[in-house]
Amino acid sequence: MSRRTVIALALAGLSAITLSACSSGSAATSVTAGGSTSKVEPLVLYAAEGWDSGFAKAFTAKTHIPVELVDESTGPLLTKIAAERNNPRWSLLWVDGDQAFASLAHQGQLLSYRTSAPLTGVGTSLAPADHSYTPTDTTVMAAVIYNAAKTSAVPSTYQDLLGAAYRGKVGMNDPAQSGPTYPFIAGVMNQLGGTSSGIARGEAYFLKLKQNGLKVFPTNGDTLHALETGQIDYGLVQSSAAIGERLKVTATATFQPTIVYLPKSTLLPSVLGISKALDPVRQAEAKQFVDYALSAEGQKIMQQGDATGDSLFWPIVPGVHPLPGMPSFPAAYQVLEPTFWGKSESQVVSWFDQNIK
Amino acid sequence: MAHSFTTLPVPGLADRPRFAVARSGRVTMRALGRLVAPSAALWVVLVIILVLPIMAFLAAAVSPALLGQGTEWFSLGAFSRALSGGIVVALADSLGVAIVAAVVAGAIGFALAWVMQRTDAPARGMTTGLLFALFLTPSYLIALGWERLLEPNGVLVAIGLDPAPFRSVFYGPVGVTTVLAVKGLPFAYLAISTALRGLGREYEEAVRVHGGGRVATARFVVALLAPAVWSALAIVFAESVSDFGVAATLADTAHFPVATYALYTAVQAFPVDFPLASAVSWLLMGLVVAALMLQNAALRGRRFRVLGGRSRVPRRHVLSRPARTVWSVSFALLILTTLGVPTFGAIAASLIDGLGTLSGTHRWNLGNYIRVIRSPDLGGPLLYSALLALVTATAALLLAVACARVLSTVGSSMTGRILDAVLIAAVALPGIVFAAGYIFTYNLPVFSAAGLQIYGTNTLLLLAYLATALPSTTRLLVGAVGQVQNSMAEAARVHGLSAARSALSITLPVLARPLVSAWLLTYTATLLELPVSQLLAPAGDQPISVGITTALAKYDFGGGTAMEVLAILSALAVVAVVYGGFRLVAPLGWRRLGVAR
Repeated sequence: MSRRTVIALALAGLSAITLSACSSGSAATSVTAGGSTSKVEPLVLYAAEGWDSGFAKAFTAKTHIPVELVDESTGPLLTKIAAERNNPRWSLLWVDGDQAFASLAHQGQLLSYRTSAPLTGVGTSLAPADHSYTPTDTTVMAAVIYNAAKTSAVPSTYQDLLGAAYRGKVGMNDPAQSGPTYPFIAGVMNQLGGTSSGIARGEAYFLKLKQNGLKVFPTNGDTLHALETGQIDYGLVQSSAAIGERLKVTATATFQPTIVYLPKSTLLPSVLGISKALDPVRQAEAKQFVDYALSAEGQKIMQQGDATGDSLFWPIVPGVHPLPGMPSFPAAYQVLEPTFWGKSESQVVSWFDQNIK
Repeated sequence: MAHSFTTLPVPGLADRPRFAVARSGRVTMRALGRLVAPSAALWVVLVIILVLPIMAFLAAAVSPALLGQGTEWFSLGAFSRALSGGIVVALADSLGVAIVAAVVAGAIGFALAWVMQRTDAPARGMTTGLLFALFLTPSYLIALGWERLLEPNGVLVAIGLDPAPFRSVFYGPVGVTTVLAVKGLPFAYLAISTALRGLGREYEEAVRVHGGGRVATARFVVALLAPAVWSALAIVFAESVSDFGVAATLADTAHFPVATYALYTAVQAFPVDFPLASAVSWLLMGLVVAALMLQNAALRGRRFRVLGGRSRVPRRHVLSRPARTVWSVSFALLILTTLGVPTFGAIAASLIDGLGTLSGTHRWNLGNYIRVIRSPDLGGPLLYSALLALVTATAALLLAVACARVLSTVGSSMTGRILDAVLIAAVALPGIVFAAGYIFTYNLPVFSAAGLQIYGTNTLLLLAYLATALPSTTRLLVGAVGQVQNSMAEAARVHGLSAARSALSITLPVLARPLVSAWLLTYTATLLELPVSQLLAPAGDQPISVGITTALAKYDFGGGTAMEVLAILSALAVVAVVYGGFRLVAPLGWRRLGVAR
């Protein structure tokens, strides 16, 4: 094969790539409303919520602000954001859990914005003092879902799970693979000793749980499958997953999913953050997006997007009610301090991987 | 005015005129073509798609601040963390399972290729389609199938079998190695079978004429196929070392640490620890480079150009009845183990309501498939991914031929050895490494300031797909390209054909079938590629693999698995169309080359 052939092949290969679809992001457009024309720039939304696609379309329909959605799991989104650190390309991030947001705020990547939308007392407790991010709703970790057809023992505290009645029957998720699970572990630690001695006491507790036959599965779905197949009788999963399981699965003589909440339940909010790297036009648009998420209309769209999954949240906006079938909000709950527990995540997850799994 | 040409000597290169300049004094395109080094253009492409992103990611291990991943401009801290006890054990585990997986896949692939090409064994026609189906099947589905079968209170228990003894063996290095060998089998088979086609029967007959028996003949054939065999071993080893799917599923469930899982946890944690992930990548690369050195040592100084104008059509051996029985049973067992298990996993998750559980109707149910087919989450993303895969496969094929040509040159220059190292190192690195490297490189502020905004576009996604596909595609073709004797093309040139016509009329026909196989393999691999798709897909566009993963992450196992099965079936349909089209359209001689009679 001659040299020119080699060159031609190589250049043809690259030309095939470069001449192919080469879409750039949507360009800025102008929107005319009420006689005045304003410049509109597209927002880039990184989201891991079941309602994100429908919500983005609804927001665009209402405001004519284009939203380019990157809909993935939380892990890849945070990996993208970390890799983009030199030149952020995202406008908004909407995922469960506020530890990552505390870290982003510490890195100076978040724009502070105090929304004018009112929040309930629970919502206010979830909002940071510096308004670097905004909670939009909350679920809790963990819901204890058990098969009432197989067992009559019902725990009332986390210490009960260390008893003989629960030996080899309790399962939970792997915090290395399940995003909501680290807040659950941190919540138990926080409850046992706060930020001063919580980690040590929590490790002792989980070691005892392990000695009592704790089984670890990758994610909510895997833990629920283990419950369905009878490998475990009690599953510690995210509340929306547990409630969704109860709504989706028809109870039978051998399988009756039932849910209890042990004190204290750790709040796991869905959180919206705005990138600090945005230009003024996009900053204003992003603030509109946040306000829309906390409006009655926005909350309704969130509840319609994933009726057996992420939409099973407790609202933190006054006047918005949870979906039918949702249980009462847990009486005993706690809010984690995101900065301390965010910094401890790597250490705790690594310890769990080596000692509990 | 007719031009005549004078060749002018270049100082210091008196015997090798470089310039062809018309008497009119104008530099012609021919001159320009001779001026540009043959590998220069190829290296420009490789630097853009491979070298820069790889080096950017690897740089994070020693200079986190360079890429905004820390404050230190030089530090070896990531390596000291990577070489801590846990990850060293994981590396040793990865090395062990990769070696065994490569040997097992290579042995089975060779045996399968031999039976398909050189015997009259039954069911030969099914092999290619079955192997493509296997190649398409994601590690997740294979692991899911085994887990559904072997789990406590699972399906086997439900029918009265106790899988506990087998479970304890499978959930460990045995299971991980089995799945990796299964995933590597299509690579091994295709690499060896394409080379076996080019081996005429004259070599085997020469051994027999000189008194050699079957064993001697077999040894000779294996020796002649050494480049393909070593390529197969190298591909499977590198793919096994860099596998993410098995690491995150079966290996994790089995508490069997492998190196890619350490890398996975480093990039999944937040804050993301790219320096640690980069250090682990260096170590993974080291394993694969060692394998490459072993391969080069085995092949050094030997020639393997066996495919020429006088190659004789090989004959098929007629199997005896006992041999046919052994083959049939072995083939059935192979299919059951490799495809049967993931098929069962797919059925359990998407076709039977609550199979193996205490709930559900346990009835066949097409609801998941109907829902998915009606959903906008399937059609659009599948078409989008198919178009990207088509472009990637075409571009990768053209570049891979060029690279394979360079690699298969005997006594290759430093260029060839560097190219070999770059390609094999690229295979060693998981896709997520590439993706992050692309973001580090092409999202640099300097590109934005210069108006070169390709991050977040389909162009960058295609370049990244090309980068992940090129190394394996090249390795697949090295064996076949290396067999082509130069004398055929040279004879064509002597008889007046231009270089392009010579390539089209001589080289293309003898390589047609390997090229088709390589194109299809690249297409199918790209269609369901995940890590690069997750990090580099443009906002607003969703590849099918991301849609599937998102559905599974929302506990929609039925819907996610149904999407996966439909995507696999669509890819198999493309395989059938392309092979069918080749059979219909390609000249008879192209199809008969290397086919035993």
